[in-house]
Amino acid sequence: MTFRFIHASDLHIGRKFANIPQPPDGNIRGRLMEARHGAITKLAQAARDRGAAHVLLAGDTFDTATPSPAVVRQALTAMGEAPEVTWWILPGNHDNLRDAEPLWDVISRDAPTNLRALTDAAAIEMTEGITLLPCPVAYRAGASDPSAPLDHMQSPEGHIRIGLAHGGVTDFTESGDAIAPDRDRRAGLDYLALGDWHGRMAVSERVHYCGTPEQDRFKHGQRGVCLAVDIAGPGAIPKVEEIETGSFLWSEAELALHPRQDAAAALNALLPTTGRRDHLLRVTARGWAGLPDRADLARAAETCAPDFAHFDLVTDALATQYEAGDLDEIDRGGALRLAAEALVSEAKSETLSQAERDVAADALARLHAYVQGAKT
Amino acid sequence: MKIRAITLNNVRRFTDPAQVVGIGDGINVLSEPNEHGKSTLFDAIQALFFKPFGSRDKDVAALRPHAGGAPEVTVEVETDEGRFSIFKRWFQKPLATVHRSGALIAQADEAEAWIAQLLGGDAGGPSGLIWVRQGMTALTGGSGKEEKLALEARRDLMTSVGAEVEAMTGGRRMDKALAQCRDELAHYATATGRPRTGGPWKEAQDQVEELSAEHDHLASTARELHDALAERQRARRALAELEAPDVVEERRQKLEMTRAAHAAATRHAEEVETLARAMDLARLNAESATTRLDSYRAAEAEQKAALAEETRARQATDAARSALAERRTALEAAEVSAQEARTALQTAEDQRRRAQRAVAAREGADRRRALEARIKEAEEARRRMETAAAAARSGPDTAALQQLEALSAELSASRAARDATATQVIVHYASGSSGVIHGDDGPLADGTALPLPRSTTLRIDGIGSLEIHPAASGQEDGSVEAATAKLQTALDQIGAANLTEARAATAARAEAAARQGEAKAVLASLAPNGIDALHQELAAIPTPTTETDAPDIETAENALQAAQTHHEACRIIRETAAEALADAKVDAARSDAMLTSLTDRLQRAEAQQAKLGDVAEEDLATQTVTTAAALEAARLAHAEKAKDAPDVASLQAALTRAESVETQARDEIARLRPLLARLSERITRASGDAVEERLAETQEQLQAAEDKLARITHEVAVLARLEAALQDARNEARERYFTPIVKELKPLLQLLWPDAELTWGEESLLPHALIRGGREEPIDVLSGGTQEQVALLVRLAFARMLARAGRIVPVILDDALVFTDDDRIERMFDALHRQAGDMQIIVLTCRQRAFRALGGQALRLQMVKE
Repeated sequence: MTFRFIHASDLHIGRKFANIPQPPDGNIRGRLMEARHGAITKLAQAARDRGAAHVLLAGDTFDTATPSPAVVRQALTAMGEAPEVTWWILPGNHDNLRDAEPLWDVISRDAPTNLRALTDAAAIEMTEGITLLPCPVAYRAGASDPSAPLDHMQSPEGHIRIGLAHGGVTDFTESGDAIAPDRDRRAGLDYLALGDWHGRMAVSERVHYCGTPEQDRFKHGQRGVCLAVDIAGPGAIPKVEEIETGSFLWSEAELALHPRQDAAAALNALLPTTGRRDHLLRVTARGWAGLPDRADLARAAETCAPDFAHFDLVTDALATQYEAGDLDEIDRGGALRLAAEALVSEAKSETLSQAERDVAADALARLHAYVQGAKT
Repeated sequence: MKIRAITLNNVRRFTDPAQVVGIGDGINVLSEPNEHGKSTLFDAIQALFFKPFGSRDKDVAALRPHAGGAPEVTVEVETDEGRFSIFKRWFQKPLATVHRSGALIAQADEAEAWIAQLLGGDAGGPSGLIWVRQGMTALTGGSGKEEKLALEARRDLMTSVGAEVEAMTGGRRMDKALAQCRDELAHYATATGRPRTGGPWKEAQDQVEELSAEHDHLASTARELHDALAERQRARRALAELEAPDVVEERRQKLEMTRAAHAAATRHAEEVETLARAMDLARLNAESATTRLDSYRAAEAEQKAALAEETRARQATDAARSALAERRTALEAAEVSAQEARTALQTAEDQRRRAQRAVAAREGADRRRALEARIKEAEEARRRMETAAAAARSGPDTAALQQLEALSAELSASRAARDATATQVIVHYASGSSGVIHGDDGPLADGTALPLPRSTTLRIDGIGSLEIHPAASGQEDGSVEAATAKLQTALDQIGAANLTEARAATAARAEAAARQGEAKAVLASLAPNGIDALHQELAAIPTPTTETDAPDIETAENALQAAQTHHEACRIIRETAAEALADAKVDAARSDAMLTSLTDRLQRAEAQQAKLGDVAEEDLATQTVTTAAALEAARLAHAEKAKDAPDVASLQAALTRAESVETQARDEIARLRPLLARLSERITRASGDAVEERLAETQEQLQAAEDKLARITHEVAVLARLEAALQDARNEARERYFTPIVKELKPLLQLLWPDAELTWGEESLLPHALIRGGREEPIDVLSGGTQEQVALLVRLAFARMLARAGRIVPVILDDALVFTDDDRIERMFDALHRQAGDMQIIVLTCRQRAFRALGGQALRLQMVKE
């Protein structure tokens, strides 16, 4: 008998995206928030589609320890509206047991019957022959491997052992709270469902990060997914399938420029032609550009930005190459030329700080823009 | 171009032709009083060069004489190409011609074009630049058109020696860029570089501040929430521990146990206490019995002792009383004897006094008689002495007599001296006729010389008188009379008729004095203390009595002696008896007191006995033994009980502890329950407010706002940097632009003000401030003199620049130095000469005397001779 379930994590319901600039007439933040809530429906649909009766949420279902009542209630209701699915919800670091105690109180009080809050680190039988071993996160930042209790959790003989934990496998902070990558072997697990990382990652054939079903950062360059996991029986290698659930694509692109290149054209070539409305794109320009090219690039970015859910051109790494012609465009002589030359030498100076050089370079670009504008 | 001659005809007052000739190179001075046509000359030159011959404007019209007519001006100029004569006439038959060596080379518009070419092709030219009209000593002024022309001229000149000002300073493009930059900057910042209120910079700052505050607030609320959660967890755990059933039961059992043990111990302690009290009572009984026995025995002994003593005292008192009676009797007898002895003594004393008186009376009669005789003698002596004393006081004494003697001797001497020198008369009487001649002093003695010191009349009996007048020979000086008078006066004083008598009186006085001395000596021997003393002595002698039966003194004395002896003996006997009596009295009193006290003691002892009642000593002794036994029994019982008493104090402590544990538990529960309720309420409220959700949002907003602020700050920095760059570049360009004129001007300025500099206005192309000693003074606040000096120097510099550009133009100054003082004018003259060089400077002035020092070529405006 094959046991099939959906593995998801990091829904971060209630995230506000206040760091995404809101265009005056736009509603991008609202759409992003809404998409996070919508992940519930997508997961329920994925379960129905795959005939899975269980959805495991490996932590950080809610973005904060105290989400607003509407966020909580609407999420619970949405889960209740998929009665054929049982939701197994694990506290993560964002909604950890201690800080989010009221949240878990509310969930245990108001949750629909098909929702199980896993607030105790104790083995629980999901269904006939299947034992779930949850490791709820007690504190926002712990100092030990949150999956360590799995080693001592007992399950009836012949049961499939599924571990559920939240945390990184690499100890970025050196605090000692990383999950051991071989925890599946140590604890005799058939599958270890992990949460916390927003990108999809297979640590080993039995240990998987599903990533968030709805992306919220540029890092991963892929729409959010959930995993449909099939386990044929105790000891069997699980079969893992990725199901795309994300509405928005968050991606980063690099634009390498060199002087005397049509920067605007290069940018336009880089941009996708479709799906821009649901696309959050950050383009990082690198290399060198002449003064007019920079101006062209900025104009092109300005032109295309409204197409996208969000568009950001980062030019910090783009150096400006000044040519005699650029300065001639400002003036061939006289005071304007004097000023331009002073700014160029300042921008190229090696004794000034980067900030001061940037100021000088931008001032020069501005002067160029003024003079060009005056000509047209 | 240099002007060589000027001719005017029909120009204002010059209705006849007038001219200035011989204008040379360098400095030329036309020094004339006012109203001699200097300004007319200036205006005429100006018109010739700048007014088209067809012009009828007011400047040209102003040249016409009152009477009307066509003004004509001819100027001869010399250029590199030779010498030309330029002629213009306006109004009637207007004409312009240029002749060269008498040959017409240009006429009308062609002539105008030639003139323009001569001036350098542009309008304006030297007029506003270097020619100074009378009263126009400042650099600016004149009509708007003139100013504009002058500006253009300056710009042309500057451009011709440097670059276009436009090209140098960036011109309008620069202005526009700067304006745009400033405009954008003003959107963000104030003029001082502070964020502008209402601007995006300020707004971003405010937003960051606001969001920071909100973030801090939310963070602290979140922290409170976490703290509350942690505290609630602790409280719950504590409460669960306190309220666990086994814990509660254990507490209860322990409390009961300690309570029971404590109660038992308390009971035991009470029993011990009761026994202790019984023991105390027995001790009291035993002590009391012993005391009673002792008292009884003491009272008995005392009564016996007191009785014995009292008996003894009573006997002693009786003895003392009888002794007292005896001694009183003895004293009475002694006193009777003493009285008798005293009476006898008195009698004896009387007898002896009478005897003594009788003896004294006898002795007094003899002394009285002797003393009465002595008094009589003494009184006789005193009488005699008094008589002699009276005699001794009359008559002259020895000293007076001696004086008399001396006076008498003196008289005799005086008389003898007179008589010796005086006329003398000696009579020798015939018998029987003696004494018939009488002088003043009686008859003249025979044969005796009678000196006649003065006229003397001698009477001769029977004959008549004979007057004799001796010669006045000076012999009669009156000294005899004076001596006589003195003697007589002395004699009169002592009452003597003559010296003999005085002598007798003196002797009598001496004798009386001797007598007085004798009598005084007698009196002193008889009554050394005076006669009164003698009288008193006499009165003291008793008058003899008539007593006859006076006893013999010796007998009386003896009797008295006996009586005294007897009296003394009696007195001693009496005193002894009295003392004995007093002693007996004291003894009796002491015995009485002793007796009284002992009686009291006896009574007290008896009373004490009575108080003890009617008991027997044996009974009391028995009681003592009984009570002592009871005490011992009680002591044993108490010790037995106290020996195995439990420790109440430690049981009490255990009980207290058990109770306090229970109380603490109850208090803690009572504290924890409401605390939990409060914490839950707080948690519910905070989590209901979605504090962390808002915190996360705010944090993101804050980050976004900070990014925005950083962008704006960068933008402001960029704009500020650009503005500074543009401003600096323009300043630098301007400086470069003005370099040529500054260079020309510098040596001129230093003639007047060492180290002075001028700053230049970009628009006006004129100096706008003078910098002296680091202080910048705008031109228009300088004094009139300084202003005109600066203006003239600037024009000279411009002229020099023109000359360097190959366009030599005469400098014409019509009273350009009006306000300048004598010292400065000298230096201005130096400046003029310095600049003159190969140039031509024409100075028109009315200040003839002041400008004499200028030197140069003197010009005259004179009529043209036909």
